[in-house]
Amino acid sequence: MITEQRVKDLLRSDGYIADEAIATAVFLALRMEKPILIEGPPGVGKTGLAKTLAHVLDFPLVRLQCYEGIDEGKALYDWEYGKQLLYTQLLRTQLDNYLTVAADLREAVERLSAEESLFFSRNFLVQRPILRSFLSEKQSVLLIDEIDRSGDEFEALLLECLSDFQVSIPELGVIHANHKPLVILTSNGTRLISDALRRRCLFLFIGYPELEREVAIVRARYPELCDELAMQMVTFLRKVRELNLRKPPSVSETLDWAHVLTILHAERLSLAVVKSTVGAIAKHQADLEQVLDLAANELR
Amino acid sequence: MERILTRFVTALRERGVRVSPGENLDAVSALALGGLSGRESVRALLRLTLVKNSSEFPAFEEVFDRFFSTTQSEALGMDPVDMLGAMIHIVEGEQLKAEAKKRPDDDSIKLAVDEEVTAEELEDLLGMEESDDDSAGAEIKVQLDGYRGKLDAPTPADYYQKAPPSVAFHHKQGDKRTVAFTLAELADMQEVVCKMLVRMHKDVRRMKQRQSRGKLHVIRTIQKNYRHGMVPFLLSLRRKIKDRPRLVVLCDVSFSVSHAYRFMLLLLHTLHNRVMDVRSFIFNKELVEITAMLRNTPVNCLLETIDKGEIVNMDDNSDYGNVFQTFKQKHLENMRGKPAVIILGDGRNNYNEANDWALEEIREKAGYMLWLTPEERETWERGDCLLELYGTYCDKVEVVRNVDELSLRVEDLFRTVYADHPYWRAAERRKKTEKDEAPVAYWNYYTKKTPTDQPVFAMQPSPGSPEWKTRFGVRYIKRH
Repeated sequence: MITEQRVKDLLRSDGYIADEAIATAVFLALRMEKPILIEGPPGVGKTGLAKTLAHVLDFPLVRLQCYEGIDEGKALYDWEYGKQLLYTQLLRTQLDNYLTVAADLREAVERLSAEESLFFSRNFLVQRPILRSFLSEKQSVLLIDEIDRSGDEFEALLLECLSDFQVSIPELGVIHANHKPLVILTSNGTRLISDALRRRCLFLFIGYPELEREVAIVRARYPELCDELAMQMVTFLRKVRELNLRKPPSVSETLDWAHVLTILHAERLSLAVVKSTVGAIAKHQADLEQVLDLAANELR
Repeated sequence: MERILTRFVTALRERGVRVSPGENLDAVSALALGGLSGRESVRALLRLTLVKNSSEFPAFEEVFDRFFSTTQSEALGMDPVDMLGAMIHIVEGEQLKAEAKKRPDDDSIKLAVDEEVTAEELEDLLGMEESDDDSAGAEIKVQLDGYRGKLDAPTPADYYQKAPPSVAFHHKQGDKRTVAFTLAELADMQEVVCKMLVRMHKDVRRMKQRQSRGKLHVIRTIQKNYRHGMVPFLLSLRRKIKDRPRLVVLCDVSFSVSHAYRFMLLLLHTLHNRVMDVRSFIFNKELVEITAMLRNTPVNCLLETIDKGEIVNMDDNSDYGNVFQTFKQKHLENMRGKPAVIILGDGRNNYNEANDWALEEIREKAGYMLWLTPEERETWERGDCLLELYGTYCDKVEVVRNVDELSLRVEDLFRTVYADHPYWRAAERRKKTEKDEAPVAYWNYYTKKTPTDQPVFAMQPSPGSPEWKTRFGVRYIKRH
């Protein structure tokens, strides 16, 4: 029997520190078989959650990266034209023999159309991520990444898949999922996702973590970093986030920085340390200067 | 439990959170699953299942705290004394706001006009003012005050109206004229822009689909279908159009339109990256191009710089004539193709040279010219407003009162521009050559590029009636 606390512990065992909302969302998604739609600024662990879940639950991870112009041929399924052609070429003699028995053209067409389904069978179907996750041998985690990059049509396409876990293929009929995957959709909020899709999902917003949780995240990933330094760097980064930066440092930047500091064996945060490692937290020239200004004021 | 939850959902709906019955059912079945620990996880559960938009989170938190308050003392979860205090505070705040709105500038101009000023009174005042050259500023103020009285009460979404002209009135040397965007404001504007982009996106796609027609590119098609044994499953076409439509925007940043230009810049900034090439200029007395700045600095910082007067001097009065002349001399020659021109401003020239010949030349070069003004039609000819004159050179003059209208106008323009692209123009021409001979309808002169069934003016007098003659009859003669 899985509980919310158990989810939290599982995630923690792989170094993902979840708060109440995240743990509840995962718990509900597993029990209710509903997709989770995660929104939030870049680098707070939206994709990371899916990866960690796949790891701790021992599910295969099927990932679908969305982009502008993605369509069902890239997301659901596609017919393998080349293979179909190749088969017709190779089977030409067989076909000739098969059709010579026919008395006239009408019968030949009838005979051929009777075998038509051969060429539109699962043999010639290329499974794209969504179908692959539906038909996988065990339950999987389906990660639909950055859904806001795709268009309206693609969203509409997802509606059927996500609410009923089925794919309609005109030539084959409706294919139901063997195992309903745990679906995670992520969005950076550059475009408003339609209400129809939102309604089918659990909506989870992951923002920047609180002080304690962020320290815990750093500690979980880089245990060799001393407590004091972890506290110091997280406090500093929280101040940096309050600056009006073009790209405020996110949790992933915190972790990068922690990594850099462990490699450098830094003992405590000083202006010199920040100066030499600022590239890990600021990603624009203008931001860089602002961060250094702040460091000069805060640290000596 | 279901009943409590339904009441909770009702409370949420009253606060404006949209919760569907399906979501309510989800919440019930989620609660029935159990396995939760404590208040915080129930809160998380309800938020996950009921609220589907991060902007609705604050409302949810408020309702949740009130509904499932831990102290049972008060129904509202509030001490009665506190509540009374808060209510008094709110009422007082409203009164203060009303007073602040009525109080005009006190140190430079000594002319106060009531909110309830009538049109006649205004005109009388204007008649007086026109003889006096130095009081141009006062005259603008009077007009704005009168204008402000005519508007509807501002709603939270209307930033255009909400950013009050009074902010600008109380400025002193070195004062910031307008407040920088708050985060919420910025988010709201982003939302309007997002919505518009979604609406426009479909058109862009349709245009692209139309663009994808053309002659077959044989070599590329064969290359593309190599893996299909040269059977042309995927076609490759020769595309005719490679460039995107171009747009030039001239924004008046003087205080009379300050609230509109901020949104305009944000909008264009967003548009620029996605669908078209935009060159943006701002002007007050002099004209400055800010395209590069828009690209490199966050919009918020840029607006702040503009408000501080570091780009154009904000203490001058706007001078449209000078601006058109400068634009014509310095920039018009460098424009590639036929850019559509948008001018955002109230056309108040402060009694400077009109220089409408420059505008005419700009129009000749431009494929399309649109003028957006925040002022109602009645005031176009009052005082120093030259909109009646300038309007005759534009394809279209539109009144925009708030952010939504502005976004709609830009959307329209975008469609026109796309449809107006040389390739489509040629196609349209082929389609209807004989229709050009239709008699000119003077009453929709300003809308000659759009279908005639959309009236621009709210109250359209029927052509030929005496009212029509006085309003439109003599002045509008079609120019060729």
